[in-house]
Amino acid sequence: MNGPAGAIQLSTLDLIVAASLILVAGLLSLVLRLNLERRLALASVRTVVQLLLIGYVLKFVFDWGTLPAVAGMAVVMIVAASRAAVQRSSRSFAGATWLAWGTLVVVGLATTLTVTTLIIGVQPWYQPRYLIPLLGMVLGNSLTGISLSLDSLLESLAERRAEVEMELSLGASRWEAARTPLREAVRRGLIPIINSMMVVGIVSLPGMMTGQILAGADPLVAVKYQVVIMFMIAAATSLGSIGMVLLVYRRLFNDKHQLRSELIVRRSE
Amino acid sequence: MITQSTASSCLLRLRGLAVAAGSRPLLSDLDLTLAPGERVALSGPSGSGKTTLLRTITGLIDPAAGTVELNGSCPDELRWPCFRRRTVLVEQRPVLLAGSVRDNLARPFSYRSATSAFPAARAEELLTRLGLSEDVLAQEATSLSQGEQQRICLVRAVLLEPQVMLLDEPTSALDEGATAAVEALVSTETETRGAAALIVTHNRDQSHRWCHRIHDLAAHRVEVRSP
Repeated sequence: MNGPAGAIQLSTLDLIVAASLILVAGLLSLVLRLNLERRLALASVRTVVQLLLIGYVLKFVFDWGTLPAVAGMAVVMIVAASRAAVQRSSRSFAGATWLAWGTLVVVGLATTLTVTTLIIGVQPWYQPRYLIPLLGMVLGNSLTGISLSLDSLLESLAERRAEVEMELSLGASRWEAARTPLREAVRRGLIPIINSMMVVGIVSLPGMMTGQILAGADPLVAVKYQVVIMFMIAAATSLGSIGMVLLVYRRLFNDKHQLRSELIVRRSE
Repeated sequence: MITQSTASSCLLRLRGLAVAAGSRPLLSDLDLTLAPGERVALSGPSGSGKTTLLRTITGLIDPAAGTVELNGSCPDELRWPCFRRRTVLVEQRPVLLAGSVRDNLARPFSYRSATSAFPAARAEELLTRLGLSEDVLAQEATSLSQGEQQRICLVRAVLLEPQVMLLDEPTSALDEGATAAVEALVSTETETRGAAALIVTHNRDQSHRWCHRIHDLAAHRVEVRSP
């Protein structure tokens, strides 16, 4: 059945047919003894439950639409993103989640609000239909950049402690001694978004653009939105990686130009 | 408590220094002075805190108590990178970066604390004095033998013309000939330039022939020598 915007509405039966695709994968796992069928089933159930829950939450926030409701949703998203950003790293240090949280608050809100207010011109500026999905995309990508950069930086400082301290002992400032690990960490955080920008539209169509086209939008309108989104994501990922790397640098190198490697701990599995 | 140097002027002064490895105390209430031209040996069994003491003096780790002064000034006053450049540490395990030997020797002259350009001719002279050919400058530093790397680390430190050299087992990977060359170079630096050297060594013969004083950290005893 066609919806008001030209999108074909999906029935419960359609979702069951989609689930049968996963059943095929589960059957293959059983036949080939891959031992993945339980995890596939759990992942499938979680997908449905989590998306249904977020669907209801979004519907509630969209219907209500007040600033406190939107702000509350944004805070929950940023807290979840900052925890995920730090938990993906194999090493950590006390206070890393707070640094990730601070970075995501500044970068996430700055880039999202730039797009919603200056580019799209949403009225009011906190209209949840625009703000929440865009913030979600920004946080999702930014947390990936932050976690890759964090992982690279902590790994590098732990593995190359002797080299960093050698440079410090020869008169390097903390910035000069940390420069190579910092540069590598930012580069590592940016590789995924740069790669995806290189191949976007050639290898795959981005999810948001595909969604808009499936929902009946003009492909050129969808492309314009996608360009804005890609730039927004690239900016958020870059600023997130750089911001986090600089905050971690300030935390692990003190005013005496010492590397405080004792703060870095290996995360237990 | 360890007794003082009898020298009237002093470059480096440690006052009531306490050194710890994490929460484990290693040395306490250590007073020590180094005068221009002095070479002082630090002896003691493994784990007695010799290496940690050198790392504490250069400020890579904080002392548990006490102070370090260079020419009567604390490192904060001198700014830490400048202080470390003047009290340079050469660790026992040579640490060189990927790149040529020349890159490694020139790197400290790219820091903001540098006050001169890389002295290439002096580098060649020092390498030759330590039994290394000039050709080694173009070689990949990390591909060299442990003994060659150890000498290159010493050359890198001497090029900075530090006031105090903190040398941790500087000849541990060297044969007799190279050991004699290192001892001669450090002696020249202390005698002609007025630098001081604090040398960790397990080799009693070496400390007797090379150093003016021997501080036994475990026995809290000082032996005065005339090398």
